Amino acid sequence: MAAAEAAIKIRSAMEQLKATGVRERPLVEVLSLSHQMADAMTAFFGSLDKSIIGEFKYLADFIQKARDEISGLQANDIKDTRLPGASVELDAVVRDTEKATESIMAEAEGLMAKEPTDLAAYKAEVDAAMMRIFEACSFQDLTGQRVTKVISTLRHIEERVTKFASALGVTDAASQESAEDARKRELLLNGPAQNGPATSQDDIDALFA
Amino acid sequence: MAVDLSMPVLVVDDYQTMIRIIRNLLNQLGFKNIEEAKDGKQALEKLNGGKFGLVISDWNMEPMTGYELLQQVRASDKLKATPFIMVTAESKTENVIAAKKAGVNNYIVKPFNAETLKGKLKAVLGEF
Repeated sequence: MAAAEAAIKIRSAMEQLKATGVRERPLVEVLSLSHQMADAMTAFFGSLDKSIIGEFKYLADFIQKARDEISGLQANDIKDTRLPGASVELDAVVRDTEKATESIMAEAEGLMAKEPTDLAAYKAEVDAAMMRIFEACSFQDLTGQRVTKVISTLRHIEERVTKFASALGVTDAASQESAEDARKRELLLNGPAQNGPATSQDDIDALFA
Repeated sequence: MAVDLSMPVLVVDDYQTMIRIIRNLLNQLGFKNIEEAKDGKQALEKLNGGKFGLVISDWNMEPMTGYELLQQVRASDKLKATPFIMVTAESKTENVIAAKKAGVNNYIVKPFNAETLKGKLKAVLGEF
């Protein structure tokens, strides 16, 4: 029985009693009306309980789903292991790159500073320097592997966050621009463009012609 | 008038490797008096403390960017005539136009080669 239907029945029973006076009605009729009211109220509260239970169940299911998704996000694994690991790898990339660059430049500067008198000896020095440059270039293999690991970590985080946001219907709230971002915008600090310069040197030269 | 290859040139970049590359290229071109600064703030102090014939500066540095350095140089009676070349990875047209409006003499986008640097030096300083 719907709540509105129960309310109508109760109101009708109350009006009948008021209109005729309870004392003037036969006891059987009063009992019948009371029984009718009790049935209506039972049906009403029964339906009320079911709808509340339904709501609570929905909320419990949602909370359980959110807990499952948060658990699936593996936030602690990301925070404690994957991000620090990626940071260590990138530090190593910077360090290896700097070391290799230093070696290559030192060899090149060494050759440029020479004033060869004995061509055979100079050629031997150049050959030896070239071999050391080749050796230094081997850093690229290691840095390539390290960067691949970092990319893998970023993809893992991207997948987890995307799944989490999708499952819970998360939308981005408007965020306030940080002081750092405002400074970058004001001073046009865009950083290197992807896939080569955004404006070619020829186009820049045209602006200065 | 011939370019004075002994004039002090200030190279400003927060990456020591880039300073080293520009220094070596300038040396190859005959410039022998090269000083360096790691950001705009240090560069401004050096410029105010001496007389430089050319500034070659990166854009993206902290705490003072090359763009801010350029603005400070052009606002200074003492420094405003100093030739200024920007060498940077900031390659958006808005960056180039902003630098030109601020008074940069030329603009080189990274990565660059020796010929590009030589060409811009000639465009700014004249034949050498």
